Amino acid sequence: MNGVHDLGGMHGLGPIVIEKDEPVFHHEWERRVFGMFLPVFATGAFNIDEFRHAIERMGPEYLQTSYYEHWLAAFETLLEEKGMISAEEFSARRARIAEEAR
Amino acid sequence: MAINASQAMAATLTGATARMETPVAPRFKAGDRVRMRNLNPPSHTRLPRYIKGKVGVIERDHGVFVYPDTHAAHQGEKPQHVYVVRFASTELWGPQGSANDELLVDVWDDYMDAAP
Repeated sequence: MNGVHDLGGMHGLGPIVIEKDEPVFHHEWERRVFGMFLPVFATGAFNIDEFRHAIERMGPEYLQTSYYEHWLAAFETLLEEKGMISAEEFSARRARIAEEAR
Repeated sequence: MAINASQAMAATLTGATARMETPVAPRFKAGDRVRMRNLNPPSHTRLPRYIKGKVGVIERDHGVFVYPDTHAAHQGEKPQHVYVVRFASTELWGPQGSANDELLVDVWDDYMDAAP
């Protein structure tokens, strides 16, 4: 797929920032997204290459989001496509989380 | 299938591999000149855009692996060799390349043909 992920050789994206003493996770939610991978993967709903392709299908949003946001986007795409969660369940849960965060 | 915490920890620490034990004859050997195919599927591929159509030399054979293109589409594992291919910087980037630099890329067998 000739997607936005295929960045090799592109100009204008700036230097690669190398953090000193980079932590494994920058935010607690990243740890949780990492932890989601195995249980979701173990359902057999998708394979690793399908997971990568789901990230590649993010479109322009890919460039503005972080590594674990890519993972989360892939889970959301695949679980909905595989019928494990419905679009209604997903939007209802998002709305509830947003409400609780107020 | 469900997994418990200790299985999850083991899998997290060791990871997984796409390497396969299936015997497949290699099409190329170290030193062979190869040209990357110009493939543009809308589906998953691990052929990076910047090597399409470019000529390189087989550096090393990694062995046999799952082919991501078919596997992502549930069309089988299509076991095949993955090679390290060496590209001159100037082959990839033309006059903006560096005469001193080379790039080594892992490339699946199905992404290339023999180059004269």
